[in-house]
Formats: sequence, structure tokens, C-alpha cells
Amino acid sequence: MIEVRELTKRYGAVRAVDGLSFEVKPGYVAGFLGPNGAGKSTTMRAVLGLDAPTSGEALVNGRRYAGIKRPMFEVGALLDANAVHGGRSAVNHLRCLARSNGIGLKRVVEVLEQVGLAGAAKRRVSALSLGMKQRLGVAAALLGDPGVLLFDEPVNGLDPEGIRWIRGLMRGLAAEGRTVLVSSHLMSEMALTADRIIVVGRGRLILESSMRDLADRFKRDVLVRTPDVAGLRSVLENAGASVSVDDGALVVRSLEAADIADLAARHGIAVHELTPRSATLEDAYLELTEDSVEFRTAEVAR
Amino acid sequence: MIDVTASEWLKVRTVRSTWYLLLSVVGVLALGTLISYLMTAEWDRSTPDVQAAFASADPSVVVMPFAQFAFGVLGALVATSEYGNGMIRTVLVAAPRRLVLLVAKVVVVGVGALALGTAVSFAAYAIGKVVTGDRPAPISGDPFSEALPALFANGLAALVIALVGLGFGVLLRSTAGALVTLCVLMFVVPVVAVLLPAPWNNRVVSVTPLYLGPQFSGQLTGQLTPAQALAVMIAYLVVALGAGALVLVRRDA
Ligand SMILES: Nc1ncnc2c1ncn2[C@@H]1O[C@H](COP(=O)(O)OP(=O)(O)OP(=O)(O)O)[C@@H](O)[C@H]1O
Ligand SMILES: [Mg+2]
Repeated sequence: MIEVRELTKRYGAVRAVDGLSFEVKPGYVAGFLGPNGAGKSTTMRAVLGLDAPTSGEALVNGRRYAGIKRPMFEVGALLDANAVHGGRSAVNHLRCLARSNGIGLKRVVEVLEQVGLAGAAKRRVSALSLGMKQRLGVAAALLGDPGVLLFDEPVNGLDPEGIRWIRGLMRGLAAEGRTVLVSSHLMSEMALTADRIIVVGRGRLILESSMRDLADRFKRDVLVRTPDVAGLRSVLENAGASVSVDDGALVVRSLEAADIADLAARHGIAVHELTPRSATLEDAYLELTEDSVEFRTAEVAR
Repeated sequence: MIDVTASEWLKVRTVRSTWYLLLSVVGVLALGTLISYLMTAEWDRSTPDVQAAFASADPSVVVMPFAQFAFGVLGALVATSEYGNGMIRTVLVAAPRRLVLLVAKVVVVGVGALALGTAVSFAAYAIGKVVTGDRPAPISGDPFSEALPALFANGLAALVIALVGLGFGVLLRSTAGALVTLCVLMFVVPVVAVLLPAPWNNRVVSVTPLYLGPQFSGQLTGQLTPAQALAVMIAYLVVALGAGALVLVRRDA
């Protein structure tokens, strides 16, 4: 269980996180989405007690992280795969972390095997590829078999096999009843992994929703313009469509454009426009975060 | 606490810099041996009146300042080697109680520097005795029973300097910053202080780290009493580690 309450974190003049509140409960993968600089990493650092909130609080299992004695048994985190001392071997790196929580070599060897790094255990961390460091970070997070897991952009640098592996891993961890929060820029990635999403922009919460609700909300619909709004509406509703009115036009769901045209013709109702619309989740996400993208690329004139 | 200390102990042992530093201390011990040998050879060739003016061929004079600085570097690296790369965040996620983490580092660095510093001090003395053999004073150092307090004081000074290095490391978070500060304190201040008008020249020199061990053991007299020297050592520890602790607890990692 992760609770973020009215969290605000300022770095000088920058409000990295601004009154953010959300909860992540056990049993599902929560995707944490937002454009660059939205405050995802900052939020995670606050949850892990690395950065002190300017105001508000971030709790894990109901308490502040900074006071937990052996946190590896409760929380596992992968923040930055490069935040490691390059001089140690992979196995020694994990041994050092494990030892601080009283975890022995046997478990270290287990997690190395679990993440597929058993063959590289003796290699110096600085000699590992980014994807391998990412796996090493995951291994560290799993050491204490914790019930709460935070991953900051874990697919960064992973090959397709690795991406599929981490997706399966996260879904598996959530299915075992753990709390899983994973950040990403990619809605398409989250569509495959997350059950719920938390979208942030400029440090503020934009949306917290289940993946299914979001998909429903941005499902394809058909825009219909007609002089007889009320008439066509009742016809379509009788045919089982859900209809809403938007700017004088009908927005029709769960009926195809062809069916709508046929129905209208059968009832002698004129149709002036019939536009099928669809939004992918990626579109939905861009739409949601449009106003909060800080670091936009300039449009290149063609 | 015990687990975090064990982890810190494992951490120092699993980085190369520790072993390079210890190797450099061994190298300086070898160099000290050579100097001691050359001095003794020179002594053998000199006339009695020249012989009487010789300094002791005890390699400690060369070895101890370097070894103590090396332990200072070690102390600084125990902190700064985790800041440059962000490892500190990984460490603090595993061991989030920051004062516990600092105490663990203090225990590992302190015990290591005290034990190894004392060992190096004894080794240097023994080497001097072996090289000079049964030659009389002053080329041969003090007899063992008289030298003993100074030998232990050298170990104690190594501990103080190592922990001051650690404190600087936690405070400054940068290897270069910590080492330059330590270097200035140990080697530059005593040289510059000589230019000060008396009695400030001697007063300032007497409170720099390298001069505290000999004053504590009573080997060097005239400025601080042993009790005062000990008090200055403690003051160094309180200031360096206290400031480090404050920054570690207050600042974002
Ligand atoms: N230590 C810091 N000092 C100053 N500003 C910071 C610091 N950490 C983050 N920021 C600022 O806070 C804002 C949020 O950064 P954060 O890293 O949390 O974003 P993010 O959502 O993780 O972005 P990305 O997707 O690029 O990783 C940014 O404007 C960033 O420049
Ligand atoms: Mg980030």
C-alpha cells in the first residue's frame, strides 16, 4: 500500500510535485505516467524517504519509509539502474545491499538467477550493459521478497525479451497480491502491463483511473450531425446505442457508422455528417497531458 | 545496526580503492625501510662527532604522515565514492536510517584505521630496530618501552584523521573537495603557519592533525599537554562528524 497525500516538493523555484495525492493498493499494477519532468521520479524519491517533501506526505504501508529498520522485506525499489558503484562485481553489489538487511548469499544467488544475471555475477557492474544493470536493479528490489515494489522506468534499455520478461514479472508480482507502482512515458507499454494508471503533468494529478475505464472513455464513437437531433437520438437509443449530445451533434457509441446510416434512412431522418472517430490509448494520453508538457519539441516546418 | 555495519564492512572490502590505499601504505613502508637503511649506512661511514648529530633512522617519520593521510583518504572515499554515481540513493533505500548508516561507517572506518594505523606504526618501529641493529642512540630510535606510548598515539591519530576524512566526505560529497580540504589541513596549514608571528606560528601548528599524536603521547612537548591534545582530537571528531551528520540528515540524498 502506497499513499501519497497532498505531496509537494519544491527545488528552489521549481515545483517538481504540486499537491499530488493518490493511492496504490495491493493486487494490481499501477502505471505512473507523465511527460518528462512531470515529477514521477521525484514522487518516488519522496515515497522512499530520499527527498524530504516540502509539504504533504508519502507513506508506505501506513508509515514513513525513513524509519523502517529492514525495508527490503517490505519495499523493493528500482530508481536508477546507473546509481551503483561500478567497481564491485554484480554479486558483491547485491551482497552489500543484502547484508544491510541481514539477507545472506543464498538469496543473492537466487535473485541473480531469477533476473537472468547468474552468468554475469562475477562481472564488474561498470562492465554491464544498461539492460543488465536494469536487471541488477530489479534483483536488488526483489532481495527481501517485499510486498511493495516501485520501479522507475524499468524497461529503459531492455531488449524485447527483457521487456516481455519485466512485464510478466510485474504482472506476476501484482497477481501474488503485492503493491506494484511502475512509471513510464509510454501509454502503449502501460496498456499491456498496468491495471490502473495515474497520470501526472507538471507535478499535478491529471487522472487516476482503471485501464478499462480509460479505454471505455476513449473508445471509438461516431459523430452524427442531423437536423432532427431528438428524433435520431431516440431511434439510435432504441437500437441499443449510447448517445450523448455534444455541440449540437450526436456522439454515438456501440453502433457502427453504417448501422447508424441505415437506421436513419429507414426512419427518413436526414444525416449531414457521419464521422467515425477513434482514439488509441496513446492519443488519449497525449490529449490528457497536452497542457502539461513542459519540454515540447519545436515543430519542424516542412 | 549490526547488519548495516556488516554491510559497510563488506563494502570497504569489495572496492579496489581500499586495497590500492593499503598497498600504497605498504609501498611507503618499503620506502621508509630503504631510507632507514641508507641513513644507517651513512652513519656507519661517518666519524663519531658526525654520528652524534644524526637523526633517528626510524622510518615512522616518513611512513606515519603518509599512512595517516591514506586512512583519511579511505575515510573520505567511504562516503564520496557513493555520491558521485548515485549509489548513495541505492544504499539509503536499503538502509534508510541515516544516522545509523553514518555510525556504521564511523565504526568501520574508525576500527579499521585504529587497528591498521597502530599496526603500521609498530611495523615501522620494528623495521627501524631491525635496520639499525645494536647501534646506539640517536641513530637507533627510543627503546621499545619508551616508544610504546608514541606508537599507540600514532594509531589513535590515524583514527582521528580517517574519521575527519569521512566527515569531510559526507559534508562535501565530492572526493576532490574532501581530499583537498584534508590535504590543506594536514600539510598546507602547518607550512603556512610557520610564517605567522610568534607565538601563533607554534600554536597553529600544534593543533594540526599530524602534530596531535606526538603531543598526546608526550613525545613532543612545549605546546599542548597530552590532555589538551586529546581534547583537540575529540573536537575535530565532533566538528567534522557532527557537521557531516547534520548535512546527511537534512539534505536530500
Ligand atoms: N534534485 C533536483 N534539483 C532540482 N530540480 C530537480 C531535482 N530533481 C528533479 N528536479 C526537477 O523537478 C522536475 C520533476 O523531475 P522528475 O525527475 O521528478 O520528473 P520525471 O517525471 O521523473 O521525468 P522523466 O520522465 O524525464 O524521468 C523537473 O523539472 C526537474 O528538473
Ligand atoms: Mg524520471
